[in-house]
Amino acid sequence: SQPANKPADYVYFDRTTAGFSDQALPRAKGAQLKLEHYYKVVVDAAVERNARRVELERRFQSDVLMPEERKQRQLQQLGRKESTYLRLRRTKLGLDDFRTVKVIGKGAFGEVRLVQKTDTGKIYAMKTLKKDEMLKKDQLAHVRAERDVLAESNSAWVVQLFYSFQDPSYLYLIMEFLPGGDLMTMLIKYDTFSEDVTRFYMAECVLAIEAVHKLGFIHRDIKPDNILIDKDGHIKLSDFGLSTGFHKQHDSNYYQRLLESTTKGPQTPSSAQATRNSVMVNSINLTMSNKDQIATWKANRRKLAYSTVGTPDYIAPEIFQQRGYSNECDWWSLGTIMFESLVGYPPFCSESTHETYQKIMNWPQFLVFPDDVHLSEEAEDMVRRLITNAESRLNIEQIKQQTFFYGVDWDSIRSVDAPFVPRLRSITDTSYFPTDEIEQAPEDAPQDSSEASKDLAFLGYTFKRFTISGH
Amino acid sequence: SPVVSSPSKPLYLCSPFVEAALVKGSLKTIVLLPKYVDIMEWVAVNIFDFYTNLNEFYGCVAECCTQSTCPTMSAGPTLNFTWINQDRKSVNLAAPTYVDYVMTWVQNLLDDENVFPTKSGQDFAPSFPSTVKHVYRQLLRVFAHLYHAHYPQILHLRSEPHFNSLFAHFLAFGREYELLEMKDLKGSSSAPVGIGELWSRWRDMGILEG
Ligand SMILES: Nc1ncnc2c1ncn2[C@@H]1O[C@H](COP(=O)(O)OP(=O)(O)OP(=O)(O)O)[C@@H](O)[C@H]1O
Repeated sequence: SQPANKPADYVYFDRTTAGFSDQALPRAKGAQLKLEHYYKVVVDAAVERNARRVELERRFQSDVLMPEERKQRQLQQLGRKESTYLRLRRTKLGLDDFRTVKVIGKGAFGEVRLVQKTDTGKIYAMKTLKKDEMLKKDQLAHVRAERDVLAESNSAWVVQLFYSFQDPSYLYLIMEFLPGGDLMTMLIKYDTFSEDVTRFYMAECVLAIEAVHKLGFIHRDIKPDNILIDKDGHIKLSDFGLSTGFHKQHDSNYYQRLLESTTKGPQTPSSAQATRNSVMVNSINLTMSNKDQIATWKANRRKLAYSTVGTPDYIAPEIFQQRGYSNECDWWSLGTIMFESLVGYPPFCSESTHETYQKIMNWPQFLVFPDDVHLSEEAEDMVRRLITNAESRLNIEQIKQQTFFYGVDWDSIRSVDAPFVPRLRSITDTSYFPTDEIEQAPEDAPQDSSEASKDLAFLGYTFKRFTISGH
Repeated sequence: SPVVSSPSKPLYLCSPFVEAALVKGSLKTIVLLPKYVDIMEWVAVNIFDFYTNLNEFYGCVAECCTQSTCPTMSAGPTLNFTWINQDRKSVNLAAPTYVDYVMTWVQNLLDDENVFPTKSGQDFAPSFPSTVKHVYRQLLRVFAHLYHAHYPQILHLRSEPHFNSLFAHFLAFGREYELLEMKDLKGSSSAPVGIGELWSRWRDMGILEG
């Protein structure tokens, strides 16, 4: 029963998985996913590499003053950088390329260490995350989001990520080390800030949050512990564990489902044809102009999210309501941090997280400015315009126009002197971190576990930044 | 329900499998040397990736490639590849042993700083082009065996679009950098390589360039 319009050599082949071992199917699906991922990365890399070259060539074309010979030299230099970057792809980075100096922080899924890269001697902060815990607590989406924000950003306001890699048990993020500690530690030390000091940190936070929003992400978990201080006393945001960027892959069940679709025995075919010759493949097009794709992808990232996670003190009420929210939620968090900086505690702090949550939901009743703390009218007004309903909350332009920020030069604030500049004795000085309170435990030896699903869940995690300098 | 025809020619040459592809469009975009980039680095990273990806797919059918199913490294009805041992003697090996030798040998080369340098400042040896040509030739043999002996299993595992694209990419790359010898691809008239025919079909279909 050969249908018409099929080529003469058209054959039917009955696909069956009988006779294969239990591992064969997940393994095959794994190989397919890895290859799909490989070709996507290859195409993306080609597009980016091309863009870098075209950009440089265009700049030289419009520069009539630069000698031809110097242009050639610079283009050759770009080629060398690109070649070095290709070599980095073959380089297996692992834990043994880094030496621990000290454990400087702890989080829900691992810890943060000050480390030194053994071959270059360069200093980094290394965040470790336990894969098991991430999978168990369904935090996969979050870790991918964190890697993505850090990897995509070149912003001065976001902690730079240089490498990420993994072994069977852990994920590793190798970031720039910010030696000044965090805002939480600073608030513990100083209790409150003057309005001038508060103005400085708030203005920097405004620009930092704006930068994150421009990348298409919502942070959702802005709190003093995630506001880090660099060697000059300026701030950078870290911990994008909760931020959402809406990549499809960030759905933590995505890979699990893909695997199950092949392991759960025979699928129910819509037609006999479906089980036989047809294979669902979203083919990858080798085109260099995928502007449309990028646009769609970016648009998707701005969609609303509907989940609730995290410690509540700084979290906006709309996040708890399952009605969706947008990036205004980060401005609420800023309002609560401003309140804390001026008053000494966050506005809804309570004995229990449950009580905090209750207060946030009934914020008009619980947002109280204590009598014994004097706040300027502008400061109180600004806090009230941030800690308010999402609809009436200030937006980025309005925030910058607030009288509280009168005199702030938004374009140069990062280059003015910061109110507190850390005094450091060496590049590995950890005196701004509570290292005494953290157990200086040695790293667990990675145990071997190569479950297909676990392995695949973290596909695409490994990253190496294209950098000019020899990191 | 339609009867499964037993084809007179290999399944990988038959429609619809011969057309199956994960990657559509001109392979040139990902094969051509990027401007200003060092050709050695480009070839090195691509060989590294071909090895890694081929290894994944061999791993999927390895359980079907045993001493008893594949007592020889077959690549056509009358063709078995032989391995040159330490005494420069050509010996017959079972396919799983042969593939294991190839993969271990390539892995060792990839891990050898003197052959595939990864440290900065370390250059490629002058012998790199000829080493890579040897590597390419052996990887081609693994592809040839998989197509000849294990294509039905690749179909059962629904991997043919992926595997075809990987191989087409491998061939296009080999042509561009003169790693691919036509005699290795086609074999001799008395002992043709199965995939030689696949190359011709893909060329006629425009998947590969002449
Ligand atoms: N790049 C860095 N440089 C210096 N210190 C850092 C850096 N990243 C994190 N830290 C320190 O480690 C602490 C914990 O980091 P982080 O908040 O990212 O961890 P986490 O595991 O995500 O914690 P949680 O999710 O519970 O907030 C921070 O408060 C900070 O003191």
